[in-house]
Amino acid sequence: MSVQSEAMTVQVSEEVLALHRRMQRRRKLNRGFTYLVGILIALWILGPLYFLGSMALTTQEAVRAYPKGVLPFIPFSLDTMRFFLNSAGIVPGVINSVIVAAITLVLSTLIAAPAGYATSRFLFPGRDFFRLSILAVRAFPIVVLAVPLAVVFISLGIYDSVYSLALMHTALTLPTTILVIGSVFASIPYELEEAAMVFGCTPVQAFRHIVLPLVLPGIAASAIFTFVMSWNEVFAASILTVQNRTLPAQVLFALSNSSEAYQFAGGFFMMVPSLIFMFFIRRYLFNMWGQITK
Amino acid sequence: MAEIRIEHVTKRFGDFVAVNDVSLTIEDQEFVVLLGPSGCGKTTLLRAIAGLGMADEGRITIGGRDVTYLPPRERNISMVFQSYAIFPHMKVYDNIAFGLKMHKFDKEEIDRRVREAAEMLHIEELLDRYPGAMSGGQRQRVAVARAIAMKSQVLLMDEPLSNLDALLRLEMRAELKRLLREIKATTIYVTHDQIEALSMGDRIAVMKDGAIQQYDHPSVVYDLPANQFIGGFIGNPPMNFMHGQVQRVDGRVQVRIGDFALTPAEAMLPILQSYDGKPIIIGIRAENMETLNQPAADALEVEVLVVEPLGSQNLLTVHIGQDIVKVSTHPTFKVEPGMKVWLRFPADKIRWVDSDSGRVLYP
Amino acid sequence: MSLSEIPKRRKKRNWAPYILIMPALLYLALFFAWPMARGLVLAVWDDEALLSIHAEAQRDSAVVGHIPQNAHLDILDQQGNFVPEEELNLENMLTETWFRVKGEDAEGNTIEGWAPDSRIRVREEAEDGTPLAGTVRTKLGTKADPLTSVYAEPNKHSQVVGKLEARTRVEIVDVALLEVWYRVRGENEKGEPVEGWAQSRYIQVFGDESRGRVDRGNTGQLTTKFIDKMIHDRFFLPALRNTLLLMVIIIPTQFVLAIIMALVIQARLKGNTIFLYIFAIPLGVSDLAVGILWFSVFTQNGLLNSILQYLGLISHPSPYLTAETRHWIIIAIWLAEVWRATSIVMVIVVSGLQAISDEVLEAAELFGANLWQRIRHVILPLLKPSLQVALILRTILALQVFAVVIALSGGDVVTVLANETFRQYSDFRNPNVAAAYAGFILLLSMISAIIYLRTIRTQEELAA
Repeated sequence: MSVQSEAMTVQVSEEVLALHRRMQRRRKLNRGFTYLVGILIALWILGPLYFLGSMALTTQEAVRAYPKGVLPFIPFSLDTMRFFLNSAGIVPGVINSVIVAAITLVLSTLIAAPAGYATSRFLFPGRDFFRLSILAVRAFPIVVLAVPLAVVFISLGIYDSVYSLALMHTALTLPTTILVIGSVFASIPYELEEAAMVFGCTPVQAFRHIVLPLVLPGIAASAIFTFVMSWNEVFAASILTVQNRTLPAQVLFALSNSSEAYQFAGGFFMMVPSLIFMFFIRRYLFNMWGQITK
Repeated sequence: MAEIRIEHVTKRFGDFVAVNDVSLTIEDQEFVVLLGPSGCGKTTLLRAIAGLGMADEGRITIGGRDVTYLPPRERNISMVFQSYAIFPHMKVYDNIAFGLKMHKFDKEEIDRRVREAAEMLHIEELLDRYPGAMSGGQRQRVAVARAIAMKSQVLLMDEPLSNLDALLRLEMRAELKRLLREIKATTIYVTHDQIEALSMGDRIAVMKDGAIQQYDHPSVVYDLPANQFIGGFIGNPPMNFMHGQVQRVDGRVQVRIGDFALTPAEAMLPILQSYDGKPIIIGIRAENMETLNQPAADALEVEVLVVEPLGSQNLLTVHIGQDIVKVSTHPTFKVEPGMKVWLRFPADKIRWVDSDSGRVLYP
Repeated sequence: MSLSEIPKRRKKRNWAPYILIMPALLYLALFFAWPMARGLVLAVWDDEALLSIHAEAQRDSAVVGHIPQNAHLDILDQQGNFVPEEELNLENMLTETWFRVKGEDAEGNTIEGWAPDSRIRVREEAEDGTPLAGTVRTKLGTKADPLTSVYAEPNKHSQVVGKLEARTRVEIVDVALLEVWYRVRGENEKGEPVEGWAQSRYIQVFGDESRGRVDRGNTGQLTTKFIDKMIHDRFFLPALRNTLLLMVIIIPTQFVLAIIMALVIQARLKGNTIFLYIFAIPLGVSDLAVGILWFSVFTQNGLLNSILQYLGLISHPSPYLTAETRHWIIIAIWLAEVWRATSIVMVIVVSGLQAISDEVLEAAELFGANLWQRIRHVILPLLKPSLQVALILRTILALQVFAVVIALSGGDVVTVLANETFRQYSDFRNPNVAAAYAGFILLLSMISAIIYLRTIRTQEELAA
């Protein structure tokens, strides 16, 4: 009996080994296939970007040429970029965009932080309703808001001003900022605050010594995100400003009668700050967007 | 002196009464364990003592001072949290020093106390590290060091060992016990682990449904439970309960389990007489039954269903009537499932339980 | 101690959270809810529909009736009346200036009163242009009274306090700027005659000054004319059709691609974080920039033609983004939107995938499910809640495609609802019709959200 069982063991193990080898091969194949798909998608995203970047960072002759090349094969030059930046309204547009985005960032963060704290720390009657309305507001179309707000701003005499546009952008970013900051606060266990209070802190001290240092990176990320949203926003900016256009509004306005060099450089120039900022806050991406699903 | 007096404390969450009119006195330097299943209100009571959730009714005094509605920082307490609540943005040193800094001790005193606490918990080499990458055991030590560095007269611990793995828990249990003896603080320790409670506490307060069921020394709680719940909750395996019937035969009170007649101890007879003709519950611990491998007049015949060898003992599972009973036997006692054994119930080890109220009857 | 001695804590409400959310609530009420309500009103309320006609040439006199905008009027009489300084310089507004003058009449009595500026020639002015003194003008014509009347009020219907001879020197004490009021006769909406006074600012006067029309009203009225105007706008149907078409082709592609991207991320390959960052890049890019990006690909001298030329597939560049190749514009918008907004769906799907434990997937694999079966029977059902949220979000966002369309089509050849909103507001200066478009987009968003939620519920009911 014992001999028989030994033989059987050997037999089975060989079969298992073959199966194992087959599985491994298949796994390797799967892995290679996944890589291929991933790289294809990455190319689909990066390819056009690289082309646009090449167009923005070359001479205007290279932009006009056909068929067009990409960067190592065409001369590198800041000529196109310089041409774009020297075009009418671009420098003021950049300044306006930065002002609007900065005000939006500050206002939105200042207003959203207490609300985010309240929704993550207190269980109060009306909390769910508040969160739900924030979500509803988050999903509302900008288009719907921009026109009436423009009319209101005209009647208040604060139309066509970077400040009123910042007010609008704050209204647009506020819901997202509240949700994101709420999730940042929620990631700090309340027990930490309690521990600080047991060890001699007042609630305010506990907030300052424990909660604040822990949430600051997350809030900074959310603020950057707010900045990017405002920097990118074009519809409301086009409706609410006439003389004091932001960069996207200016580019949109000039789009139909401008050269390709202008358009390519403009598109690239608008993208770059966002890409840099997004890189810094990539760790928080899921905090930002994952929130929408909850 | 830091005697803690809890008087008629009630705490509600909406309609749910988490702590219901609890009164408890903890002597100075005593180590009291609050023991109970989850949701029994033990943590709520501890938080009321700490000031993290104020009592709705009642009074709490520490060292004669009414602290019922004082904020935690004015209660002169320190605490070890279940999740440790180590501040992740501070080095271990600053974590331990946090409370001292908040109470504005001078630098040398803080340094002396931090090092002393670190030494007591053998974490001197961790002082310069951030808690991020530390193991659960190390965090636990930091949390305890932070609490004892305060030298508060009252130390509160909320399930401090529940997040550790079994081996580490065993080790920390002994170490905590030594440490608490050394620092001589009045300690309240919350746990749902009855072994921890039995092995560590000077006294145990068993809680259920927001009320204290029994408050006594571990051996008393184990041996003389106040009610069926405590008997069934404490001990591993818990106390066995069997259904019986009180009967008077020839003027003598007997308890019948099926056909088997049990003779109660002399002292119990006056009480059991009033249960004549009524059902009663017989409680006995696994280790208190004698197991025989042959029939005897005062022994009940049972069939063994399961045998679990546990090294220091063999645990048998048998059916008595409708009840499942665990019997502990010496490992040398030879038995196999399906065999018959005979159980003898020593009269002084039997606890009699009123089947209506669940109270254990004592003379 | 008896129970009665033990203090009962008074339950007090914790106001802290309400105080903390108050700024956000106020802000959203002020800059979100209120404008939103205003916007909806804008679409159905005509502020200038009716002109109120007053019994007297006084703002606070009784209203005798309303004449609709654009109705023609007979002008019977006119009169000046005080006008608040901030209302000066309104379009169409006719004003007359009166001077309060002081001078001597033929008998040598000092007369002080009001005379219209048409009767006084200003001779002296202060440095800021305020008239100080003048002379009475000579009246032309023989039949006219040669004397100039001076009135108690700056109003020809008021009492005459005296008369001045021509060329008399007068001191100018005060100046009044008056708005002209017309006495008009017209018909209200029911065709009944209305006669009374109205301010000149609302009335366009025709050449002979006896006829005019209501240029704009001053009383609002509920109206469907903006909605009618929107529906009958020649761009409305194409915009609606394109918006819906784009929604239908964009969203499914996005979901398939997003799930593939999420599965690649979830495979935990080496370099996973690099993949994640690259896949997330479009999250931070503005829609206008994406429009330009894809314009650079599809423009006649762009990337696509260049590549085809290098590959020798074409001999000369073919146009894509022209009125003759509308289908290519739609394809370009489709690709651009898929490029831009798939990342959002991917992040939502990855978040959802992370909530599915590996053990579940391993168990499925162990029981012999292949990749497709695992996706079909395990991953998709577990992802359902995340996908639903993403679907609602994407649909609402798809209704708003704007800058991409403008960048790729110039906003004329292929138009969408958001673009028409913009055009009505910016190019045609018609905020009411723009508001009607905005309201229509809102309505579509809400309908699609409700349909999604409904279908989900019925599906769940069926499952139960």
